[in-house]
Amino acid sequence: MDYGQIIVNWLLLGGFYAAVAVGFSLIWGIMNIVNLAQGALIIVGAYVAYVAFTKFHIDPFIGIIVSMAVLFIIGWVIQYVAINRVIRAPFLVTFMLTFGLDLLIIDLVQLFFTTDLRSINTSYGGAGLQLGPTRIPYDRVGILLVAVLLTWGLNEFLSRTRTGNAILATGMDRDAARLMGVNIARIYALTFAIGAALAGAAGAMLAQVYPFAPSDANTYTLDAFVIVVLGGLGTPWAALAGGMLFALAETVLPLIPGVGPGYENVIAFGVLVLVLIVRPTGLLGKAFYA
Amino acid sequence: MSSDSSRPMASDAGPAPTGAGSANGSALLEIIGATKRFGGLPAVDNLTCSVRQGETLGIIGPNGAGKSTLIGLIGGSLAPTAGVIRFDGQDISRLAPHQRARIGIARTFQVAQPFAGLNVRENVIIGALFGRRNLSRAEAARVADDVLERVGMENKAYLIGGQLTVADRKRLEVARALATAPRLLLLDEVMSGLNGSEVMQAVELIRRINSSGVTVLVVEHILRAIKGVSDRVLVIHHGAKIAEDLPDNVLSDPRVIEAYLGQRYAQQQQQAGAGQAPEEEWKGGLA
Amino acid sequence: MAITPEANATSPGSKPSLPKESRASRMWLWNTIIGLVLLAIISIIPLFNDPAMLHTWTLIVMFCVLAQGWNFIGGFVGYAAFGNVVFFGLGSYAVGIMLNSGKPFWLGLLVALVIAVLFAFLVGLPILRLRGHYFAIATLGVAVAVGELVAARDIGGSGGLLSVHPPTLAELPLFFYGFVGLSAITLVGTAVLSRSKFGYALVAIRENEQAAEAMGIASYWYKVAAFMLSAAPTAIAGGLYAYWATGFDPTTVFDVSYSVEMVLLAFLGGAGTILGPLLGGIAFEYMSYQFSVSGFTLHNSLLGLSIIIVTIFLPQGFIRLVQEVMRPTSLAGADDSYWLRIREGLRRVQRFIASNGV
Repeated sequence: MDYGQIIVNWLLLGGFYAAVAVGFSLIWGIMNIVNLAQGALIIVGAYVAYVAFTKFHIDPFIGIIVSMAVLFIIGWVIQYVAINRVIRAPFLVTFMLTFGLDLLIIDLVQLFFTTDLRSINTSYGGAGLQLGPTRIPYDRVGILLVAVLLTWGLNEFLSRTRTGNAILATGMDRDAARLMGVNIARIYALTFAIGAALAGAAGAMLAQVYPFAPSDANTYTLDAFVIVVLGGLGTPWAALAGGMLFALAETVLPLIPGVGPGYENVIAFGVLVLVLIVRPTGLLGKAFYA
Repeated sequence: MSSDSSRPMASDAGPAPTGAGSANGSALLEIIGATKRFGGLPAVDNLTCSVRQGETLGIIGPNGAGKSTLIGLIGGSLAPTAGVIRFDGQDISRLAPHQRARIGIARTFQVAQPFAGLNVRENVIIGALFGRRNLSRAEAARVADDVLERVGMENKAYLIGGQLTVADRKRLEVARALATAPRLLLLDEVMSGLNGSEVMQAVELIRRINSSGVTVLVVEHILRAIKGVSDRVLVIHHGAKIAEDLPDNVLSDPRVIEAYLGQRYAQQQQQAGAGQAPEEEWKGGLA
Repeated sequence: MAITPEANATSPGSKPSLPKESRASRMWLWNTIIGLVLLAIISIIPLFNDPAMLHTWTLIVMFCVLAQGWNFIGGFVGYAAFGNVVFFGLGSYAVGIMLNSGKPFWLGLLVALVIAVLFAFLVGLPILRLRGHYFAIATLGVAVAVGELVAARDIGGSGGLLSVHPPTLAELPLFFYGFVGLSAITLVGTAVLSRSKFGYALVAIRENEQAAEAMGIASYWYKVAAFMLSAAPTAIAGGLYAYWATGFDPTTVFDVSYSVEMVLLAFLGGAGTILGPLLGGIAFEYMSYQFSVSGFTLHNSLLGLSIIIVTIFLPQGFIRLVQEVMRPTSLAGADDSYWLRIREGLRRVQRFIASNGV
């Protein structure tokens, strides 16, 4: 068994999963919304990058930026038009709303793109560093770097900029923030838009690395949930840590004899329930963004 | 006036609390060395006290002293880090809240927790249905109507819990707790948010409850009210007991004055000399 | 006196000492009767001898049953289970496997019931310690995981694809009546629950779990029991479906969108009410069928859009909406004309919807 390869796979997968979860974690931590449409947004991001690549010959790494921009706008609209109307309702209502969005988005994507598997195949897709038996693909390293960069960037934005601070304040106490002059509707729209943009980035990364189809969306939502539960809601770094942990489980558990592929959701769910029962606040984080 | 524990006379602030006649001296609730830590800080620190059958025990203390934590320990929503809580001789430290309700400990919450979607009558019926006695729905309905009359809410029986005023919510809390037929009633700052006349009504109600045989534990900020209902008063500061005595003695105890108003004020009191009942000063400042 | 909103359609009384309790306290009975009458009307369908219509309405009533089952845990206790489709799937596979081993259908249904309720108990024990979001996603995860497990382990057939020998044509109406009967039984069961001590405990837990515990309700065990109760009709519906459809696979009977659909139906009609899930089921599924007939293929889009609209504009459900509109809240208002009351009620509802927003 090539442990080196396992470790490489794990780290690179962890970066990807961090990107998947960090937007989800932001939306949940600040607005207490479990965005069940996160996976759908990720898939949309994947298709944006796909179209950018196949139609406009835009390199997928640039495609990440394109996806982020498109998803930012989509996210802003969604929050302003729909979610802002139910944000004070009991959580079941917002839960249902995001699920409705999820269904709608996936169905529309299926309408436009059919259920065929797609993927982006770049000229440099297969290239990588070969260290003995271990292979380190360049594109995946690139993704890991982007993921870490995004996580760091979000953290800096939240803690050092005025707008970022406004977002954190709103997350801690909406009414107090309102009294301080924060425009809650806009801050929420911004938060969701950022979360969607991060989902877009994850989608663009996904498109490069795996074949994807609309039906994958809900798996990613569940994954994001598990990652956030693992890492806790505290800071963007918690999402990264959770992503690493989750990637570890996904890399290692299928290697157990008797278990094979096709158990992703079972693993995800098993990990989830275990963590929730043993440590409901997540392994690392606190109950809200701070 | 210095601490002088030989003054069991009724004060001039009103008629004597009613519990005095029915207290028979045996301890219904015993708290032995109870400690509750949240992280490193002890909210309740090695507290020992007991509540006698039939009495009304008042608990006072500055904000953050640990009064609500103590209620939580007795009611069962918090488990003690150390120490033992005994009810009627039985160790209840590990019992869940619903089990404590079944053996006769009922509590109100500092921020009222009505069943918001149900009306007042249904709220009280639920207390009657699942409390100490195993009643049928019809019996529970009768108990509820009776309790509502006792607390004076029979006219509001069909108002929805979530739409009540603060004062009514508090009264509903008490009614609901009463419906469980408790032997010990824990009132957690039930008078906060009430105006002057509402406080008087609350004092009257608590006295009536106590004289009907229920042992009452009243956590309160309003010293005037505490004096009006309590047989004895317990003072908590930083989670520890600093005084436990008759109301008048406690309210003139310099340690208590110091805890509430600070050292300088306590010294001023001493210098001001005897003859002036400190609680008169307090009425202006604290109550 | 019942503990459902139907029974809360009271006014504070035009004179303080005259509560309209006796009238309101029979609302539960009226609602049950209306529900049974509706089902009775629906049972005429087979007489039309139209197989397509029979097929459609069989599905419609099936979804009603699913919503009614969900109502026990989601409506009465207020715990949003999003994975109840797992009981449907378990029921389907139980019956499918029993049929394929030559056992009689009724025995299969019994096994389906037992397995699902047992599963609800075992899974409920850890999961009902969770609340809110966590509980919802955990139930969702259960459904997804079990579906995946069944497929991966080739239960019932390769990839979980299971087929049974089809029932005869003459037997088809039996399934329809089976669902109708199941719905009626569940309706009556819901009504009985709403007037029972057990039902009161569930509602108390929903309204304020901490207060419920302080009043002597062992909320954990009540929740587990409600969860088991919600599994029962769902599993039997799955069992009926298995034989009726003659073949299915995990993606069909463990389909998460069914889980959400049953939540939406109960929501739409009024979660926690007796009649709500049935009404919501009939209304939505019928509308959904009309759409698909006219060539509209985006079922999920319709479902998603409906969910969005309902959650924004109708979060309390239809029955509560009606009752809220009709309820006078002031002593003066009790004497107003019908029309005035409705207008005031609509304004109140509009304020309520706006209060949900930012």
